[in-house]
Amino acid sequence: MSSQSMPSLVHNNNPHAVTEIEVSIDSFIAKLKRRQISGSYIIALETLQLLKRFISAVRWSNVNELIAQIRELGNRLEKANPTAFGCGNVIKRILAVLRDEIEEDMRESINAGSSTSASAANLNDRNSTIGNATQAEPLIASMFNLLQKPEQNSQDFYESKSKTKTDFRQVVIQAIKDLIDEIKNIDDGIQQIAIDLIHDHEILLTPTPESKTVLKFLIRARERANRTFTVLVTEGFPNNTQNAHDFAKKLAQHDIETIIIPDSAVFALMSRVGKVIIGTKTVFINGGSIVSSAGVSSVCECAREFKTPVFAVAGLYKLSPLYPFNVEKFVEFGGSQHILPRMDPRNRLDTINKITDYVPPENIDIYITNIGGFAPSFIYRIAWDNYKQIDVHLDGKQK
Amino acid sequence: MPTTDDFDITETYLKFLEEDSEMTMPIAAIEALVTLVRVKNPTTAAEVINLIKSGAEVLVKSIPNSVSLRAGCDIFMRFVLRNLHLYGDWESTKQHLIENGQLFVSRAKLSREKIAEIGIDFVSDDDIILVHGYSRAVASLLTHAANRFIRFRCIVTEARPTSQGKQFYEFLQEKGIPVTLIVDSAVGLIIDKVNKVFVGAEGVAESGGIINRVGTYSVSVLAHNAKKPFYVVTESHKFVRMFPLAADDLPMDRKILDFSRIDSEASLLSGPTIDYTAQEYITALITDLGVLTPSAVSEELIKMWYD
Repeated sequence: MSSQSMPSLVHNNNPHAVTEIEVSIDSFIAKLKRRQISGSYIIALETLQLLKRFISAVRWSNVNELIAQIRELGNRLEKANPTAFGCGNVIKRILAVLRDEIEEDMRESINAGSSTSASAANLNDRNSTIGNATQAEPLIASMFNLLQKPEQNSQDFYESKSKTKTDFRQVVIQAIKDLIDEIKNIDDGIQQIAIDLIHDHEILLTPTPESKTVLKFLIRARERANRTFTVLVTEGFPNNTQNAHDFAKKLAQHDIETIIIPDSAVFALMSRVGKVIIGTKTVFINGGSIVSSAGVSSVCECAREFKTPVFAVAGLYKLSPLYPFNVEKFVEFGGSQHILPRMDPRNRLDTINKITDYVPPENIDIYITNIGGFAPSFIYRIAWDNYKQIDVHLDGKQK
Repeated sequence: MPTTDDFDITETYLKFLEEDSEMTMPIAAIEALVTLVRVKNPTTAAEVINLIKSGAEVLVKSIPNSVSLRAGCDIFMRFVLRNLHLYGDWESTKQHLIENGQLFVSRAKLSREKIAEIGIDFVSDDDIILVHGYSRAVASLLTHAANRFIRFRCIVTEARPTSQGKQFYEFLQEKGIPVTLIVDSAVGLIIDKVNKVFVGAEGVAESGGIINRVGTYSVSVLAHNAKKPFYVVTESHKFVRMFPLAADDLPMDRKILDFSRIDSEASLLSGPTIDYTAQEYITALITDLGVLTPSAVSEELIKMWYD
């Protein structure tokens, strides 16, 4: 399995804890590789639990080393399953919190230190004016960089300072706890907004019956707001049929009129549909998203043809700072035996079974997240509020 | 060294452009303004502001195609104003500007390298890329991709009435990239064979639309129609505070359409040289600030002007 060792851990003075954490990392990686763990919600939570234990176990002499170790862990998890973006997303968010804290610390130490030299004072000045916005600073640079004075290298601080006032271990663990809380409470946030969006006697269509968020959203609209509406569920043959049936059953139990329709009937019925609601797996920075059942993209395409609004529900942790340069790389293919039983290999017949799908940003009208509704073109902003550009790619050396 | 009286900002600007082929118009404008400040050596803040304002005005008026250099003037003005107001630190800012003139030029070049690094993922093996006009940023990105042994092919439009297409064709050939040259009117014919379109920009408007070599708009509409991604590769110092509403809503020195009788053959085709491509035709902007959606441009500008 994962034979790659972590060189940064070798000089550790607590070998026992390290081997123990190594074992849990390896087993988590194995689970990711075998697809034994699926669903972005579970993956995100388990990654955070693992990270919490990892942080408790590792030793470091300066903050830079800590960051490097977290990045290395993130890189290993990302490599284990490149389409499980949840791992990378949560680790990048923790890194962003950590970096903010370090910046804060750095500013304080500059304040305390000799601020007599003109250049330091100026840097300081500049920093404090953008101080409030720093955590929301979207990109490492701004247009002004062109004219700015040569900057003091913050890298020096990262490396030289071995002793700081702030306990970074505590910072990271607190950040992890906060993020776990956030992820667990995501449905509440989304539902609050969602209720206003569903009207009485409306016909809704959802092509993603496996989404728990969509399910809770609909049930809540029925129960809390007491709306009567009809839900059309696409069958999702072959990977999602069971999910679609379960979904329909649950909705029916909550007294919601539910109709399962074949995938081929979407176009015919679209003219009567008021809204399309989709659950997402990952949302990219351009506003496009990966959804966990094939055929969703064509449903959204149909919706656009009929000018039917498409609502995508997504928790904040599904937001990825990556750009989908190559969509084919992100879309997963499954075993073809679900479509056709295995045949004599001499018969030349190709069967493909896409299990995820990419919906381009122009086919989505609005994203409903736990912090509000946003247009796809605004997603980049939300992403840069939560991630740092420097941590977008965890592989390779950080500059 | 020109003396105070005979300093001509337009001349200085043109000289900067001529001397260094790598220099872009906004940077040349900034350099010209820095030289102006150095030569006139103003002593009070009000003097500085007036000097730069009038210098920029003269410059914008005297150069026919002023969109790009306006971006440079704007960013310089804003930088000076901010330093005057926020820090009251004019002396050290002036010192910095005068001493580090060369630094801006090298940073601008660096920003193109950064763009190439950021944009490399947009070029993949077997791609056929359509390029319209000669842009240093596009050139740097494609060179970088070729150096990384990505095997792609390029189609370059002629970009009439200039010879930019020819220049770019020769440039790519020199770099060993398979390339072919087509007439501008053939874009519709080949757009289905193309995987993506790259263009540069003279200026990026607040809406996220771009002002570029004439013909960009038609290429973008064709790309949009054929559902091909249309990428703009540009440096962030070309973002300019303008909000054009239509393709012809640009500051131009003369009428776009001239129906008066023209006798000389030469001036027959001297129509507009730039056009405006609205944001809905642009898939993404590849800049030194990262890959931006068109709506992110206004935010960068707002950040600069109102924070």
